[in-house]
Amino acid sequence: MVDDDAQLYTMEGIAAAFVILATVYLVAGTTSIYTPGDSHITDMQLEVLGNDVLLVMDTPTEEGEENNLTRYLRTWNTTDFRNEFGSLLNDRTAGTDDTLQFAASVSYRKADGTVKNENFISSERPTGYEQAVRVTRLITIPGKPTGVGTPVDFRNVPQVVMLEVLIWRD
Amino acid sequence: MERLDDEGQWIVMMGFIVAVSIFFLALVINQATLVGQTTAEGVLEFPKSEIRDLQSEVYGVVEAGNSATLREDIRALELARNNALVNYSAVPEIKSGTTYNKTTIHFNNGVTAYDETVYL
Repeated sequence: MVDDDAQLYTMEGIAAAFVILATVYLVAGTTSIYTPGDSHITDMQLEVLGNDVLLVMDTPTEEGEENNLTRYLRTWNTTDFRNEFGSLLNDRTAGTDDTLQFAASVSYRKADGTVKNENFISSERPTGYEQAVRVTRLITIPGKPTGVGTPVDFRNVPQVVMLEVLIWRD
Repeated sequence: MERLDDEGQWIVMMGFIVAVSIFFLALVINQATLVGQTTAEGVLEFPKSEIRDLQSEVYGVVEAGNSATLREDIRALELARNNALVNYSAVPEIKSGTTYNKTTIHFNNGVTAYDETVYL
């Protein structure tokens, strides 16, 4: 049997439902949830930054000139590489520098055809627990690098090597 | 109270509706987390920079005489360090009296495949 005795209760129920929904909406809207996806946004930033730095260093300042990246690898000049890469990575428009760290290594093809990866230089010794991203760049060098510390099994012919840099925020 | 009191049924029902609404909202928030993660991962995994790097290196190598040793270097390094199958070839072709190198580049890392043909 249908009667209309509880109309006020019904209206109260509807009003209560709206109040609860409004509260949940407000609460859900004001709190921001840090999702796993958000942590990847900083990784994306690092990746873009690292690739940009490598691109800048791989571009000659004047037409026909050798670019800095090739020169550093050709002469195995780790000090200048560390300084330039570090400053390009960490310089900001104003204020203090950023605190990004990096570890660079070079991969090359040996005479027997296998690929070897050799440490180049790092701004800080990595512990292995860093949340690092990896960027790479192919570089053509005219022969075996000439500087001190060059791995002995480099072929002494024109070749393409791959510079790999791990970047993380300290 | 001898008989069953069946007043307030609407209140009970509204309670159920609110509960279901809250459950539905929770589902939506849950999905948002997943979507954010897969989007960011998709952007991270997409080898945009690797392909651009390969392009610029291949253009240089082809224009400098297309050495077979350098091609082997690029293929071996991309396979060993970037998990990408890479190949390229350059065939001279005459267009409007000028000789160009018709260069085709192939890149495939198992997720993203990329092919291009360019006259250098």
